[in-house]
Amino acid sequence: MRTVLKKILTAMRGGVNELGEAVVDGQGNRILEQELRDSEHELKQAKQELAALMAESASLARQIRSEQDSASKREQDARKAIAAGQEDLAREVAERIVGHERRGAELTQTRELLQQRIAGLKDRVQRAEKQLADYRRELQVVKTNERVLRTTAQIDTNINSQQSSLSTAKDTLERIRERQAREEDRQTASAALEKELTGADLDEKLKAAGIDGEQDAVNNVLARLKDSPAQ
Amino acid sequence: MDIQTLTLALGDSTHTGRTFDVMPISGDEPVLQVTVSGAEETPVYLTVTDTQILCLVYLFDEQELNPDRLNELHENMLRISVPMPLSALGKTGDHYVVYGALSPTSGTAEIMQELVTLAENAIDLLQTFEDYLA
Repeated sequence: MRTVLKKILTAMRGGVNELGEAVVDGQGNRILEQELRDSEHELKQAKQELAALMAESASLARQIRSEQDSASKREQDARKAIAAGQEDLAREVAERIVGHERRGAELTQTRELLQQRIAGLKDRVQRAEKQLADYRRELQVVKTNERVLRTTAQIDTNINSQQSSLSTAKDTLERIRERQAREEDRQTASAALEKELTGADLDEKLKAAGIDGEQDAVNNVLARLKDSPAQ
Repeated sequence: MDIQTLTLALGDSTHTGRTFDVMPISGDEPVLQVTVSGAEETPVYLTVTDTQILCLVYLFDEQELNPDRLNELHENMLRISVPMPLSALGKTGDHYVVYGALSPTSGTAEIMQELVTLAENAIDLLQTFEDYLA
């Protein structure tokens, strides 16, 4: 991942990318994708192999148990033969026991080797899984980077074909200010209109001229009360 | 979410009193130019990939900036990028951009929210960084 990020930065700084050319070129991308497929393939194979080995190990365990069971059963037989004074028969059974024990030991050895291979393979599967996740993340970064470059190149071409040149930040700021001023004017105008409609502006003007309707009404009531004093 | 669905959805939707004017940008990549009402000066460009919906607004180009104050501007851009809602600052080619990335499973409401926020953020950023223009 670090390599990919460094590659992207180096290419960007070098200005390789001014026209939106892919930084990690199509070839590089295909290599990454191939590596991803290889890793996926390896992982699948390792998992299949692992499953087969584990099945084999389970089967060996069963065979070992069976040899051990047979040996202990034969031991009882041999004891009985000795107790009955049948020395020859006991020897024959003892030979069988040796056979079972030998096969058991051989099978156990085979199974131990198998267990080692299983452990190694499990390790390989884990590593492959981690590597796969790494490749996927790398590929995502590379692809997103390319996409952004292609997209911005496309936007630039489009804007350039519509206008003589890309509008500058200063132009944009000018237009923003104009709109904001227009909005402010509209707000002021609508506030003025509101005052007019409610008569608030007229009241203000009257008040300013020293004509206060409210004050007059209070004075009128007071005058009336004075004209008709309490009986 | 794909470009076609989004074009249709944005065309007759409003979000917090905003409307959207959508124009496809011709070319190989699926790109939309979305103009948000009340922030028409800063159109948002939107593209959909497998892993994200990328929305970006151009702020200014490198050659428009005062070269003596470039470091100061970069420092301020990095600092302001963190608290800015739903957007981050970046650079692609010579363009300084403000952008936001959404999950491809986002719905139209989230996308509209992003578009409105991004367009407004772009205006605020332009006005904030005006002093750094050459």
